[in-house]
Amino acid sequence: MNERERGGVPDDALIRTTLAGDDGAFGELVERYKGRAFAVAVGIVGDGDDALDVVQDSFIKAYYKLKEFRFGSNFYTWFYRLLVNQAIDRWRKSARSAEVPFDESWLTEDASPPDGFAYPRTPEDLARDRELGDALQRAVDALPEYHRAVIVLREVDGMTYDEIAEVLGCSVGTVMSRLHYARGKLKESLKSHREG
Amino acid sequence: MDCGTALGKIIAKADGLLPREEEAALAGHLAGCPACAAEDAAVSAAGPALRALIGIRAMEKAPALDAMWTRVRAGIEESRETRRRSSWIARWVWIPAALALAVSAILFYPAGTDRSPFHPSTFDVAVEDVESDVATVALVDKGEDLPRVIWIIEDAET
Repeated sequence: MNERERGGVPDDALIRTTLAGDDGAFGELVERYKGRAFAVAVGIVGDGDDALDVVQDSFIKAYYKLKEFRFGSNFYTWFYRLLVNQAIDRWRKSARSAEVPFDESWLTEDASPPDGFAYPRTPEDLARDRELGDALQRAVDALPEYHRAVIVLREVDGMTYDEIAEVLGCSVGTVMSRLHYARGKLKESLKSHREG
Repeated sequence: MDCGTALGKIIAKADGLLPREEEAALAGHLAGCPACAAEDAAVSAAGPALRALIGIRAMEKAPALDAMWTRVRAGIEESRETRRRSSWIARWVWIPAALALAVSAILFYPAGTDRSPFHPSTFDVAVEDVESDVATVALVDKGEDLPRVIWIIEDAET
């Protein structure tokens, strides 16, 4: 949901004000989207400091490209395209991208009966189980970049399939198949931790 | 419902693609099948667990995130200054280039300026007619070290 839907000053108005020379209006856009942008960026690059840099660089890039924005379209979809590309570039350049091997065996583990184990649903839950947090981070890191972007945009940002397809410049079918695959990977990570 | 069908529906449910009328049938299967119930629990937990993981990172970086506009504004200013500088360089770069060209011309211009002025008729020159009634071409060749000069004489006036 964007700010227009929440009843604030519409994004378009802030963009026009910025283009007229008022940088403070762009500051409002930064304040509005920085949290969501950070969540998406850290979901893709994995490291908090790298994610801060990605968010900063993406906003700076957006500022200078603002005159290319097509009024009537969503600012956040347009901005997320810059953000995701910036994050993927950052990930590829980082040493972390070479550290995590891809492990197909995760998809073939057998199910086991449920027990009293409760999967973490909040940061506080997960913070109590550092091993699971690490395992989950490894599973996320092991996903191909665009699969990671899809599941982050869907599960963390709550974007629709159409919006994700627009951000990533691919078809809805591709989004669905990447999401299916990524979800399967995370599921196996959670299960193997519980069973291990 | 068999387990294979149930597994497909579990994923579809997590993706938000399971029709509502099929949810009850799936729930019925899960109630009696611990293996599928475990699968469902793990699949359903993937999204919340990912949000929890990212929530932890966000909490760790909350102070830096609070100052994001300050960072962005500083970056914009820095970038603006860089652009201004490169634009200034582009605007004035021709001056040193022109100076360098002028200095080169002075330094490397062929010597021999002490030669006295000459007219082709006063030197050994080869005079050739071109296909014209009014023009004559004179080639002045004073030696290998000196450039060849071409005179074009029209209407008997050079």
